[in-house]
Amino acid sequence: MAQLSEAVVREVVKEILAQMGNGSASASAVPAVSNGDSVADMTMREVGVAKPGTASDEVVIALAPAFGDKLKKRTITGIPHTAVLRELMAGIEEEGMKARIIRVWHTSDVAFVGKRGAELSGSGISIAIQSRGTTVIHQRDLFPLQNIELFPQAPVLDLATYRNIGRNAARYAKGDSPAPVAQISDQMARPKYQAIAAVYHIRETEFVDGSKKPMDLEVRFN
Amino acid sequence: MTKIIAGIDVGNSTTEVAIAEISDFNRPPRFLGSSRVPTTGIKGTLSNIPGMALALRTAVEDAHIAITDLDLALLNEATPVIGDIAMETITETIITESTMIGHNPGSPGGMGIGVGQTIHIQNLVSVRRGEPVIVVIPKAYDFEVAASLIKRAIEAGIDVQGGIVQADDGVLIANRLPKILPFVDEVGLIDHVPLNMLAAVEVGDHGQVIRQLCNPYGIATLFELTPQETQMVIPIAKALIGLRSAVVIRTPAGDVQTRRIPAGTLKLIGDVRTAVVEMDGGADAIMEGLAQVGQLQDVEGAAGTNVGGMVERVRQTMSDVTEKPLKAIKIRDILAVDCLVPQKVSGGLAQEFSMENAVGLAAMVNTDQLLMERLAQALSQEIGVPVELGGVEANMAILGTLTTPGIDVPLAILDLGAGSTDAALMVKGQPVQSIHLAGAGNMVSLLIQRELDLPSGTNVDVAEEIKRYPLAKVESLFHIRNEDNSVRFFQEPLDPKLFGRVALVTKSGLVPIPTEHTIERIREVRREAKRRVFLRNSLRALKTVAPLGNIRNIEFVAIVGGSGQDFELSQMLMNKLAEFGTVVGTANIRGKLGPVNAVATGLVLGYYERQRAR
Repeated sequence: MAQLSEAVVREVVKEILAQMGNGSASASAVPAVSNGDSVADMTMREVGVAKPGTASDEVVIALAPAFGDKLKKRTITGIPHTAVLRELMAGIEEEGMKARIIRVWHTSDVAFVGKRGAELSGSGISIAIQSRGTTVIHQRDLFPLQNIELFPQAPVLDLATYRNIGRNAARYAKGDSPAPVAQISDQMARPKYQAIAAVYHIRETEFVDGSKKPMDLEVRFN
Repeated sequence: MTKIIAGIDVGNSTTEVAIAEISDFNRPPRFLGSSRVPTTGIKGTLSNIPGMALALRTAVEDAHIAITDLDLALLNEATPVIGDIAMETITETIITESTMIGHNPGSPGGMGIGVGQTIHIQNLVSVRRGEPVIVVIPKAYDFEVAASLIKRAIEAGIDVQGGIVQADDGVLIANRLPKILPFVDEVGLIDHVPLNMLAAVEVGDHGQVIRQLCNPYGIATLFELTPQETQMVIPIAKALIGLRSAVVIRTPAGDVQTRRIPAGTLKLIGDVRTAVVEMDGGADAIMEGLAQVGQLQDVEGAAGTNVGGMVERVRQTMSDVTEKPLKAIKIRDILAVDCLVPQKVSGGLAQEFSMENAVGLAAMVNTDQLLMERLAQALSQEIGVPVELGGVEANMAILGTLTTPGIDVPLAILDLGAGSTDAALMVKGQPVQSIHLAGAGNMVSLLIQRELDLPSGTNVDVAEEIKRYPLAKVESLFHIRNEDNSVRFFQEPLDPKLFGRVALVTKSGLVPIPTEHTIERIREVRREAKRRVFLRNSLRALKTVAPLGNIRNIEFVAIVGGSGQDFELSQMLMNKLAEFGTVVGTANIRGKLGPVNAVATGLVLGYYERQRAR
C-alpha cells in the first residue's frame, strides 16, 4: 500500500515538472490551456445518422465537413481543432449542459450547418463551426441566415473566446439572457486573411457530400 | 376680433403648447391644435427657447396655421421651482487582509462545505496524508490537469476538502473528481489568497444559497472561535448573505468591516424650528425631521461630509442656472429615499459586490419671476409674436383639468411631472391652494438606474425606458411571457436579438434590455421606486393642501402631468388613496389629450376668462 502511494506521488511529481517545464517554455504565449500544442490529438468516429434530440439539456456542436480530422486540423490562425472543440465542450459543461457533436455533410456554409444542428438539438440551440474557425450560435426557429450570435472573423477568435461561445450557447439553451460574447474587431483581419479564408472554404467545400445525412460523432481526446 | 392664442407650458421634461381661437367672449375658445416636445435645457433658463420654438411650430402645423397667425403667446408663470437629484452611499464594506471571498460566479462547482489549509496545487504532493486541504488553482492549470492532480492526491490519501479556482472551471474540475467537493471559481486575484491558512469553502445546492458561512455561529463552529472572535466575524457573515458560494479564510490579522462612511448631518431650517438629522438614520429619519420643522426655509449639510457635498452640488447647479449668488439659493423642499445599491467591495479578491445603503436626495429651490419675464422677452424676439406671462401654474393646471369630462369642483389635482410633484386644491369661493414638492419622475429613473446598476451617463435612458414600459421575457422566437405571467404568441418569428432576453413592451415593439437581472427583480425595483417617490410625495402633497390637513376631506383627485401617463402609477395611487375614501382618476384634458397639456390649455382658458370679465 505504502509503495503504491509512493509510485503515485512520483507520477504526480513528474506530471507537475512536465507541466512547469511546459509553462516556462511557452511563457510568452498564452498559458497551458491555450497552448494548443500540449493538447493531444483526437479521434472522431461516426456512430450513425443523427436523429433529432429529445434531451432539453443538450447543445449540439455541428461540425462542417472538414473540421477536426481532415486537412491541417487547425484553424486559420493555427489553433488545433482539438483545442477548439475541447473549449467549446468545456464551456457547455461548465454551465451544467451536455454537448452533442454531429457532422453535417450536405453543406459547408456555417449558417446552414448551424440551422441543421439546431434542428437536431434537443434544446434547439447549436454551435456551428467551420474548419477555418468561423462560428455561429444558432436556434432552430430562426431562418438559416439569421443567428443568435455570429463570429464571422475567424482570425480574431482565440481559445478563450471559444470557451465563452460554448458557455453562452449553454446559457441560451437554459433560457438565460447572457451578454453577447465580446469580440475583437480587427480592421486588418480582412485584407490579411481574405485569400486564405477563401482557400479554406474551397477546400472544405470539396468534402461536401450532398446526399449524406448529418451523422452523430463520437469524439475521443487522446 | 377673432384672436388666435397659444398657451406654452415649459416643464422640467417636456414643453407643451395649446392653440385656440377666441372669436367671441360668449362662446368658449375653440382649440385648434396642441403639441408636446422635450424641453431643452433646465426649466426657466434661456436655453428653453429652441424647445419652445419647436413646440410652437409643431402645434401650428397641427392647427394648420402659420406662426405669424398667432396674436399672442402666453407663458406660464412657471412654478418658480427647479429640482435636482443626488445620491450617496452611506455604508461601505472593506476587506483588509483578505479573509473572505464571497461572490456569485455563474457556475461554482460541486456542492457542500469543506474546511482545511489553503495550499497551492503545485504543493499538493508535499501534503501529509489525511491532512484536510483546500486547493488553490491558478488559471495556468488546465482543468484536466488540475482535476487529475487532485484525483491522484485523493487516491494517495490526501484529504482534499474543496478548491478555489481562478478560471471559470469550477464545474469542469468538480465533474472529474471521484467525490463531490465544493469549488468556488472566477476568483480573479488568486495570487492574493493567503496560503497555509485555515479556510472554509461552501457552495450551495442548485437554486439555493449558502447556509453555514453566512451564519456567525456557523463560522465559529468551523474555525472554533471564541465568543469574542465570533463578534468579529459578523460583517463577514453579513456580506455573504444570499450568495451561492463563498470562501472564508482565517488569517491572523484579517478583518472585514462594514464601515459607515461619515455621511454627515442635514440641518433642516424651517419656519417653526430647526432640526438636525443624521443621514445614517436613513430616509425615514430625514422625512420625519422635515415634517417637524414646518415650512422649510433652507437646508444645510455638514461641511466635509458626503451630504455636505451633495447639498452644495445642488446649490451650485441651481446657482449656475439661475445666475444667482450661491448664498441666495434656498432649498425649499427635499425628498429623501433609501435604496440599496451594489458597490464593489474594496480589497476584494473576486470583484465582489455588496449591497450598500444609500440615500437619494431630491431638492427644490425657488427661483424668481424675473427669469420667466426674461424668457418671455427672448421668445417674443425669436418668433415675432407678443408673449405674456399668463398666470400661476397651479391655477392654470386646475382650469385645464376642468376640461376633463365628468369633473367638477371641489377638486384636487396631483401634477406628477419629471422634476416635481405638485398638488393644488380648488374649493368654490376660495383661492386655490398649491404646493410643490421635490422628487418625481427623474428621481424614479435615478433609483432604477442605481439599484439595478445600469451603466450611468449614457444609459440613463435604459432606466427611463424601464420606468415607462411593462416587461416581458422572450421565451422562444414565437412567444413571450409578460410580467403578469400571461403568454402571448406570434405568427412571425421575433428578431433573434430578442432571443432569451428580458424586453420592454413598447408601442413600437419589443426592446431588449441590456442587463442580466431577472424580470421579477426589475419589476420589483421599478414598482418600489415609484412607490417610494410618487406615493410618498402624493400623500405628502395632498396632506398639505387638504382642508385641516386630512386627505379624507378631499373628495376628488385628478392626476395630470407626464408621469400621469404611467401605465401602473394611477392604479397604485388609486389603491393607496382608496383607504381615504377619495376618488382618484387620470384627467383627460379636453376629453382627448389624457393627463398632459393641462397647464397649456389652462393658460388659454385663463386668458379667455380674464378678457370676458373685462
